[in-house]
Amino acid sequence: MSYTIPIGPYHPALEEPCKVQVICEGETVQDVSLFVKYNFRGIEWLAERRNYHQAITLVERVCGICSNVHTLTFCNAIESLAGLTVPVRAQYIRTIMVELERLTSHTLWAGIAGEVMGFQTLFMKCFALREPLMDLLETISGSRIHYGTNCIGGVTRDLTDPEAARTTIRRVRQTVTDQLIPLFTTDKTVHARCSGIGKMTKEQALAWGAVGPNARASGLTEDIRRTSPYAAYAKIEFKVPVETSGDVFARVVVRLLEMVESCRIVEQALDQMSPGPINGPNFVEVPIGEAVARSEAPRGELFYYVSSDGTDTPCRVKIRTPSFVNLPTVRLMMLQANLADVPLINASIDPCYSCTSR
Amino acid sequence: MDIEEIRERLGNMEAWVNKSEAWWLETPSLDVEKMARLMVETSARLVTVTASRAREDEFRVIYHWDLQGRLLNFVTITNQATLPSITSICPAADWIEREIHDYFAVNFAGRELPTLVLSDQDPPGIFSWNFQWKGKEGGHA
Repeated sequence: MSYTIPIGPYHPALEEPCKVQVICEGETVQDVSLFVKYNFRGIEWLAERRNYHQAITLVERVCGICSNVHTLTFCNAIESLAGLTVPVRAQYIRTIMVELERLTSHTLWAGIAGEVMGFQTLFMKCFALREPLMDLLETISGSRIHYGTNCIGGVTRDLTDPEAARTTIRRVRQTVTDQLIPLFTTDKTVHARCSGIGKMTKEQALAWGAVGPNARASGLTEDIRRTSPYAAYAKIEFKVPVETSGDVFARVVVRLLEMVESCRIVEQALDQMSPGPINGPNFVEVPIGEAVARSEAPRGELFYYVSSDGTDTPCRVKIRTPSFVNLPTVRLMMLQANLADVPLINASIDPCYSCTSR
Repeated sequence: MDIEEIRERLGNMEAWVNKSEAWWLETPSLDVEKMARLMVETSARLVTVTASRAREDEFRVIYHWDLQGRLLNFVTITNQATLPSITSICPAADWIEREIHDYFAVNFAGRELPTLVLSDQDPPGIFSWNFQWKGKEGGHA
């Protein structure tokens, strides 16, 4: 006999609203329905009623965790439309900011994963590691979230203390390689909870349009920083970690290795950047036309479409967040899973419901 | 398969246009199901679909695909605010079509379209021409 269990809309695995409705036979999941209609704010509609500069502040509010990559991608689309070239130093600062944001996002996710596994020490470890990263972002931008550093044609603030950034990144890299990676990859509890559950094949990932670490944990190799470089990524060396088993454990490993690569990217950017201007003209005329921009957000490919009628207000702003395409794949991962694994499988894709509903 | 072969197999006479580091093909009478089958055959990934107002009763719809890192954009126009659904060909289109239906009331023929981001009682088309917000007391137009 089958029965239906509604999980959510509050706390389906993390403190954001989403309802996962599970149909079980015994303790085995037979079907899953997802409901994400609890966070809709009409941000695309609102962006079409504000000028380009106001819209930057607005799109930064799509997400509290990856706010910086939203403004970066939006600015990239506008700069592409307006034919603007971003100064080299600003490109490096943008790269540093999005990688620091990736590190805070991945440490947040790793902490939550630890908590969902029932491994509180891991949770505390990850959140302790996240704190100096948040402090560094505050030092650079003046804010722990919603950094307000991207503007059309560059960045609003210079990076004045590269040595502080180097020190923090060195410490973070050491903690990730010496403590987090061994803890996550060799601990029996983590293996028992994560290995072999929530599987998604490479074919499924492609058919459902999965992106980011979730897709790369299933054997897809695409990383927008590599395939369509933006900011300073074309000048920086980094690896794109890929796993093939497609289970929760593979998603853990990909994100941990990405944290090491993010540290490498920040270190290279700090070494390579030289003094220079950080932004362009204050007032930019956006001609009639349309443009798209993509970037690799912490959860995967972020896509913006912007069209202009030549006024100071965009005609259309389309935002496709990575969680929007990753969330439907949760159903595939949960089919035939044990009911007790449902919260962990859900958390393993690092969903952002705020991004999804916008 | 290169992008010229894709264009030829779609029977499209317009040339690809390269702008903002992406390739664009404007085809008002695009056979979207044929396009979707062709793109799935080439192992392309559906990035998303963008809808916007074309004129009062029709919408401009852009299918964005990633083909080995290249972004291909197929632009078409709805016919009586309707296009065929491609969800049965490409499951990634499921939520995308439902969201566009929520925003613009574009109908994707051949499938059910339950609300995605709106509540069950909300009418679709909150971004479209005719939608008027009357406040909490008055409800939707």
